[in-house]
Parts: sequence; structure tokens; C-alpha cells
Amino acid sequence: MGQNETAHGVDDVGGDDAEFDPIGTLTLIGIYFAILVLSWVYIYYIEFLGRDLVVVG
Amino acid sequence: MSEAIEGDRSFVDKFPEEARIVRSAFLSSFFALLLGAVFGIIQTLHRTDVARIIPSTDYYTVLTAHGVFLVISFTIFFLVGLFTWALTRSLDRPLVNIKITWTWYALMAIGMTMTGVSILAGFVSSIDMSADVLYTFYAPLQAHPLFYTGLAVFIVGSWIAGADWFRTFLAWKREHPDERIPLQTFMVLTTMAMWYIASSAVAASVLLFLLPWSLGFIDQVNPTLTRTLFWFFGHPVVYFWLMPAYLLWYTVLPRIAGGRLFSDPLARVVFVLFLLLSTPVGIHHQYLDPGIAEGFKFISMTNTMFLLLPSLLTAFTVVASVEYGARQRGGTGLLGWLTDLPWRKPEFTGMMLAGLMFAAGGFSGMVNAGMNINYMIHNTIWVPGHFHLTVGTAVALTFMAATYWIWPQISNKPIYSRTIGLFQVVLWFIGMALMSNAMHAQGIMGVPRRTAEPEYSGFDYPTMFGGFEELNIQIAIGGTLLFVSTVLFIGNLVLTMGNPKVSGLADPLPPALSGPDDAPQVLDNLRLWVGIALTLVVLAYALPLAAIINRGGLLGSGVGTYPVWLGPAFDALVSALTPLADGARDAAAALVGVVR
Amino acid sequence: MHIHAYEKLWLACSVLLILFLIGTVTYGAVGPGIAMVADSEQPIDAQNLDESERFADPGVEQVGENEYAAYVVAYQFGFTPDPIVVPANSTVTFYVTSRDVTHGFEVAGTNANTMVIPGEVATLTVETAEPQEYGLLCNEYCGAAHHAMEGKVNVVSQSEFESRQGGDGE
Repeated sequence: MGQNETAHGVDDVGGDDAEFDPIGTLTLIGIYFAILVLSWVYIYYIEFLGRDLVVVG
Repeated sequence: MSEAIEGDRSFVDKFPEEARIVRSAFLSSFFALLLGAVFGIIQTLHRTDVARIIPSTDYYTVLTAHGVFLVISFTIFFLVGLFTWALTRSLDRPLVNIKITWTWYALMAIGMTMTGVSILAGFVSSIDMSADVLYTFYAPLQAHPLFYTGLAVFIVGSWIAGADWFRTFLAWKREHPDERIPLQTFMVLTTMAMWYIASSAVAASVLLFLLPWSLGFIDQVNPTLTRTLFWFFGHPVVYFWLMPAYLLWYTVLPRIAGGRLFSDPLARVVFVLFLLLSTPVGIHHQYLDPGIAEGFKFISMTNTMFLLLPSLLTAFTVVASVEYGARQRGGTGLLGWLTDLPWRKPEFTGMMLAGLMFAAGGFSGMVNAGMNINYMIHNTIWVPGHFHLTVGTAVALTFMAATYWIWPQISNKPIYSRTIGLFQVVLWFIGMALMSNAMHAQGIMGVPRRTAEPEYSGFDYPTMFGGFEELNIQIAIGGTLLFVSTVLFIGNLVLTMGNPKVSGLADPLPPALSGPDDAPQVLDNLRLWVGIALTLVVLAYALPLAAIINRGGLLGSGVGTYPVWLGPAFDALVSALTPLADGARDAAAALVGVVR
Repeated sequence: MHIHAYEKLWLACSVLLILFLIGTVTYGAVGPGIAMVADSEQPIDAQNLDESERFADPGVEQVGENEYAAYVVAYQFGFTPDPIVVPANSTVTFYVTSRDVTHGFEVAGTNANTMVIPGEVATLTVETAEPQEYGLLCNEYCGAAHHAMEGKVNVVSQSEFESRQGGDGE
């Protein structure tokens, strides 16, 4: 078996890996999600729709 | 073969021939990076009016060189090197025929040299050659035939590279009929499948229209058609730049962080989504084009928005893999584990900062994708602000950071200074944060992209987020830091090449937490995915292309030719001949009158 | 295929975000009524604009009650007419075409922005408000003097607009 992806090498930690819950990742990505939504609302509704010469046709 | 033995032998020990190809491709890539950086600093200081060492008319030669050398040459040469490494490493077998490998490398190098010469000749007024058409080469601006020929040769080289990798994979498949496709090989193959679909359009545009037109075989082209064919290629190509970075984030970054990939199946799903969705989206670059119906634009937007999905999934999987590494290293707390990461490693910090910038670029990308909000930022400097976060940092900084990890393994030479490396990647981040932020802000003010002198005589820009001048200073400082960072990177690498060879530099990659056995078999059915991808492309493009040809004709009608490459000598010839032509026309008219 | 519960949650949030973005753009199209530059106009012979009724001598004309049409030709390196004078508090449709290469038509700092492709006529309709002078620039590279290509869009009061039109002998 040559490829590392399917090989179970010496640093294979074993069964307790299945318990890993990436709670820190979920927190970080939740913050990112909130930033994305707020920035989008600002740039679309305030910045874009608030400008002169909105194209209507 | 066990990993313990592999651990003793680096990539270059096991595959010396392939390692030489990888090094050659990387060096071509970094040579282009250095050239691109030189043109980048000239352009930054010119545009912001800090220092103007060239006339403004030469700015567009600089801009063409900056674009083509960085987004075609730097990115794609790095890609072919990295993919050769990843495929050979993950299949654990040499390429089928190294002569073919050298053939595609040579074709790509020759093609890029031809295109590069045609661009750089634009600086020498005594040579009647130029290609000041920018990276997008929109007709009816016309470059010297050498520009298009070189691009075609380069693309053919990349196609042979893909064929080389597919052949090697098939040879491996015969030797291992019952095994799953190794993850890195899966990434290489799906990316290349996407590349064949995408680059077919630009190859068609160049070979059927632009090259014959520049050689004078046809009189005119349809500008909307060639533009559309360009963007058919021009959006998926950004994923072609990005996929090597994703490959590194998925398979190498977790290792550097001390952990393992969180989920192999999800990584495969992400690459399949990119294969399916990268191409049927190009019309989102043409939201403000006349001659294309609004419905086609809306379909393109929907596809583009769903293309966010694989990137959002990647953000989770990659960060989770890094968190796993931090927890393995003893990290605790909700976010406290962030301090337990190897921030002193340039390859780690570089890739993490690249990922952070990509997250920011995700926001400006959403705006670019949002059909009607495009009125606000289309062709403003917001757009280069966006892609300097994506290709200019997510991709470029990942490539540079990865070099600190991979170069020792393909050369057996340790990096000259990892401290300079760390300083360099941080400097890039700071430089780009300044430059890109100011570019976005100027873009909202309406400052256009692609111009030598963004200040106009008749009006001033509205002031918001700081004034125009203040933002110019940010851009100039940022651009200068980026230039210094590039020079440090290249210098560090050159000094590394002078180091003596040592052994023990191998750093094998661990398997994923959730391995490929957990992935549904159908994910490995490349024929199926290519079939669906082609179907989606036909659905997205058949009607728009038919409508464009129906409107403007296959070869255009009533649109002139505007060569940028015929110099003063040609102008003199034309002005000398014009009276003659006028005379002939008058004579002909008189003759017609007489005959009547 | 095993997917972690957090990852499923994130997948759901991602899909919601995408639908929210598409929803916003759709709202912009049906709420404020923002329409895209599209294919409403017939193609045109770019090298014979002189023979076109609308673009031989481009200018602004009244086409309805408080509705105006502004015909604009972009060329290397300028816009005709310059300035483009339109009345305040009215509906103005710009018809922009090119007689040579691809250009951009961007009224700086506003949402009026379109590509100008030879052989096609870009149309965009805007509502003007109070009198104001805007900068007009080309935002697509069009040749060596691209940076010199600029113009003005002057929104003037109704009375000033009428006197100007009269002054031009139109």
C-alpha cells in the first residue's frame, strides 16, 4: 500500500478520533457568517440602493 | 511499503526525475513572479502618482505583462509542478514516460516565452510588435500574432500535461484495480477535467478567430462572441489557480498544523462541485454587456452563487483539520487552541493568512456575483481589489508558503532562512491588507481599474472612507511591501539552492480522520461527473452563444480592427498610401460615372 | 458517508446564505425595479454610425412627458456629446454605442455604468434627482490614451435644460 491517504501509518491515533467535535471551528465560522450577512446587508441596501442614478430600465 | 521507510526517503530520493520536473516548473513560476512583481511596483507607483518612470501610454504594456506573467505563467507553472508532485507522491509511482513530461514542459515554456516577447516588445518602439491588449485581450483591440500563438502553444502544453497525468493514473489503476483513487490524485484529475472543458473555449477563440484575424486571413471578429468565449474560460481559470491552493490546504496544511484532514469524502465532494459549477458561470463577468439577455445573466448568477458552497465547505473542513492539530498539540478552550498552533513556521502562518484573506475575498466575491449590484463596482478598482485577495493572496501566498515546506523535499536542501520566510509571508499579508482595502474603498467611489491616471481633469471623486489621495498612499505603501516581500521570497529561495544537500527532510502526509473508505464509490466515477459538467455547460451557454452569433454574426459585422502592434512605421505607410487610395477611389468613382 | 453534525449545520447555513443572496438580488430587480443592460436594442453597424438616425448627431431629446432619450457615442478617446445635459427630476434613457473598440460608460460615483461594445447599443434608464454635475469616464481599457477619455453628465433644472435646447437651435 503506497499512498498515504489509504495507509494507516505510525501516527494513526486510533478510535477516539471519532469523538472529535470541532467546536472552535464552529464558533469561528459562526462569527464569519454573521460578518458576511451584516456586510452584505450594508453594501446592498445602504451603499448600493442609496446611490444616485439607480438604473430602472 | 511502510511510512517508516518513506520517512527516511524524501520525494527527490524516490522520484529524482519527477523532482527535477517539479523544480523546473517552480523555477519558471517564480521567474514569472519576479517579473510580475517588478511590473507590479512600477504600476502601483505610477497609478498613484507617487513615481512615474514610464510615459502613461506604456502603462498598458506594464499592465499586460503584470497580468499575463502572474495569472498565466506564475500560477499555471506552479500548478503543473505541484500536480506532478502530488500525483506521483499519492500514486507512489513514477510518470509513465518522462520524455512526454519534458515535452509538455518545453511547450509551455516556449509558448510563454513567445507571448512574453510579444508583450515586452511593446517597450521598444523600433520593433513593430506589441500586445498591449491586457490579459483579457478583448477584440477589436488586436495584438501581434505571436501573442496569440504563444498562448495557444502554452495551452496545448497544459493539455499534454493533463494527458500525462491521466495516463499515469490509468497505469496505476491497472496495478491497483480495487483501490480508491488517492485523494491528491483525485484532486489533480478533477481539476484537469475542469481545465479541458474551460480552456477549449479560449483555444477556439484564439485558433478560429483571433489568430487568423491578426494574421489578416479574416477581416473582422464579433467582439461579444470572443469576449464571451474568453469568459467561458476566464472564470473557471480562477478555480484552476485556486485548486492547487485547495489541494495544499486539504492535504498539507493539516499535517503542518500537527493534525490530519478532517474529512476525505467531503474534500472529494468539494472538488466534484468545482468541476460541475466552475464553467457555467462566466457570463457573470458580462452582467453589464449589451446584447446578452437578462435571463442568461440571472442563470449565470444562480450558478455563481452556488459556487460559493464548495468554498464555504472548505473553510469549515480546513479550519476543523487545523483545530484537530491544535488539540493534538494540547490546545484547549473554545478558541484558546489557536495559540497552540505552529505560528513560527512560515508554511503554516503563510497558508493561514492566505486563508484569512480568502475569507475576506469571499465577501467582495459575493458582491461581484450579485447581478444588479454589479452596476456599483463593475470595472472599478474594487474588482482588482477582490482578486488580489483571491489569486493575489489566497493563491500566491499559499504557493510561497508551501514552497518553504515542499522545496526541501524535492531538492534535499534545507531552506536558507525560515525566519526570513516567516517575515516575508507576514509582510505580504500586511501589504495586501493595505492595498486591497484601499482598492475596494476607491472602487466604491467609482475609481476605474486598468488606467494609468485615475484622476480626471473635469471632476473629483466623492469622498467616503477617506479621500482619494489618502487611499492612493495606502495602495502605494501596500504595493511596495508586496514587492519587498516577493524579493525576499526569491532571494531566500536562491540562497536555498546554494545550500548543500542533506538527508532526512522528508515529511510524509498522514491519512484523513474520516478516510476514503467512508466516501461513496460514485464520487470516484469521473466519467459521470464530466458528463454532468458538460451538460451544465451546454445548458448555460448554448442559447447565449446562439443568440450572440445570431445578432453579430460569427465573424462580426461592421466592426473594425484596431491593432495595437503596428508602430509608427506602419502609420507612416498608411498615411503615405491614403492619398493614393483616395485618388484611386476618386478615379474609380469618375470611371463609374463615365461608364454609367 | 459520515458527515459531522457541525458540518451539516454549516452546510445548511451556507445554503441559506446563498438563497438569501439570490433573494436580495431578486428583490432589487422587482422592488426598486433595477433592470440589467440587455438585448433590447438591435445590433448596429459600428463603422457607419454616420448613417444612423440616432447616432449621426447624438444628443438629448424629449420622448415623452418628463421622459428623455440621451444618445451617446463613445470613441477613442472621448464621448459625444460632451457634456451630456439632462433635466432634473426626470426619467432619462441613455443609448450608448461605440464607433471603434470596446469602452465603458460610467457616471462616477453612481450606479449608471455599462459596457459599450461596438455593434451593440447599451441602454440604461435612470431617474435623475436634483441638479448636479457628474463625471463621466471610460472604465474599459481602450487604447494608449484610455486614461484621457472622460466627459460630463450635467443634470440641470428643467428651465435651464429648455433654454439650452433652445440655444442649440433644436
